[in-house]
Amino acid sequence: MAATLAYRKLDWTGIVLAAVLTLVIVLPLVVVGTWAFTNVWRYPSVIPQEFGLRFWNQTLARADVWSSISMSLTLSFTVTALSAAICLPAAYAFARLDFPGRNLLFFSFLAGHAFPKFGLLVAIAGIFLQLNLIGTFWGVVLIQLVGTLLFMIWIPVAAFQAVDRRMEEAARDVGASPFRVFWSITLPQAGPTIAAAILLSFVGTFYETEGAWLIGAPQVRTLPVLMISFINNQPVIQYGAVLSVLLWVPSFIALLFARKVVNSGSFARGFGG
Amino acid sequence: MTASDQIGSVTPVRRRPYGLLLVATPVLLVAWLVIWPIISAVIQTVWTTTPQGQGAVSLDTYSFFFSDGYSLSNLSMTLWTTGVCAVLLLVVCLPIALYLRFSNTRVAVYVQGLAIFPMFVPSIILSFAFIRVLGPNGTVDLLLNSVGLPHIRSPYLTPWGPVIGLVWDNIPLTVLILLSGLGSVSNQAVEAARDVGAGTLALLWHIILPRISNSILVAISFAVLGIFSAFTLPYILGPAAPEMMGPFMQRTFRELLEPKTAITQAVVTFGFCIVFGLFYVRSVAKNRAA
Repeated sequence: MAATLAYRKLDWTGIVLAAVLTLVIVLPLVVVGTWAFTNVWRYPSVIPQEFGLRFWNQTLARADVWSSISMSLTLSFTVTALSAAICLPAAYAFARLDFPGRNLLFFSFLAGHAFPKFGLLVAIAGIFLQLNLIGTFWGVVLIQLVGTLLFMIWIPVAAFQAVDRRMEEAARDVGASPFRVFWSITLPQAGPTIAAAILLSFVGTFYETEGAWLIGAPQVRTLPVLMISFINNQPVIQYGAVLSVLLWVPSFIALLFARKVVNSGSFARGFGG
Repeated sequence: MTASDQIGSVTPVRRRPYGLLLVATPVLLVAWLVIWPIISAVIQTVWTTTPQGQGAVSLDTYSFFFSDGYSLSNLSMTLWTTGVCAVLLLVVCLPIALYLRFSNTRVAVYVQGLAIFPMFVPSIILSFAFIRVLGPNGTVDLLLNSVGLPHIRSPYLTPWGPVIGLVWDNIPLTVLILLSGLGSVSNQAVEAARDVGAGTLALLWHIILPRISNSILVAISFAVLGIFSAFTLPYILGPAAPEMMGPFMQRTFRELLEPKTAITQAVVTFGFCIVFGLFYVRSVAKNRAA
């Protein structure tokens, strides 16, 4: 800790932290990546006996892998599209219109975050049981849709509020219709943030495991759900490793686009920090 | 306070009730799938029908939960895991956040990147990586074996498995929340304290910690809410018995087919987390309103 506040000395604290974090955070992922490109790795060799792509062919030849990939993508697209369709108009209303109960309704989206998530899922599952939604595609859609609401409303509200109102008024003054103003002025300015919200909810839905497992399994099998059964029952390690690499792709895309957003102070404040 | 004070201003001051129509669908969805399930869970578990066909208030399911040895050992394991994770998270993340706040070297950029990185690793991949590294004949065993040392006692399928996984998973947001709190500690305050001869520990105790105590509470509340009913990591990495509340509820609901018992367990988790939940939600709302 002694070096923590020193600016000019050699940054020993930093070097130690960097080394420890590299070991703890990067190493496990490198191990998984190595397993995915390994044909033979028998104990006790420290490095694999034979590298290769043999298990990529085998994994991609499995029917359950393809069906769960298409299930995951269908679910994520459906949930994201529905979420955008109902949340973006609502976000616009919260940002621009005044109506009775606006405040209370805006903060009502926080309600779910006051409870431990899996407990809430079990309570919802109790409702779904009476409606025969357990084990159905639409049951999973509904439960994942609820998980996207807060982000898909709060982030776009901030985006609509950040749009320069003077430009909109100037356009109205020269005779542009409200729709034209929205299309040519409001949307281009709010667009990038809204796109980030859509991307976040797509990726969040893609990895949503708990709702899919509780409500959907075994009939609705998404990629993370298939991964759980690979971890529990599959003796061939490489299948899980290849699936991990495949599974990581959406996260990698999110990483490329969302890093700036995540590192900004407003992101942490959104979590109450 | 008016609406505009809390979530930002609305220029056309005229009230337009048709805004209600635009927000109706998501609001009804929250009412139906968040608020109603919670109310219904409480009602279902305290309201029973007597053999005569009359309704009556009964706390039987709760007295069963709190007298059943297995339920209680699952609950105490959940409390233990949550407590240990919260302490470990602070011990790990506070030094990282302090370091990031007070340095601007290139190493600091790298450290921040690494501390945020687990946010982009889904917990299911983390579980797999954990087993490959710390499981039997995993990487740690390989490395120890290659220098002639005995195997480790693997934390896989012990209570320490979920602890390690959950701490790993929660590092990014804990660091970000603490770092955001450290933003309110001014350099002047730190330098003034240094000038009058405060040591590092005194500085930490008297200047820094009082200013970030609220952020620490927010970080802990967020972690507790996530960890108390965590499912994936404890299900894959934890022991089969006793199990944490997440896997316990799932098994009761889907395998034992006892939804009422599972919902009772859920209400118990609500009860244990309610203080953290309300505090957390209040902090988020306050920040959004500011």
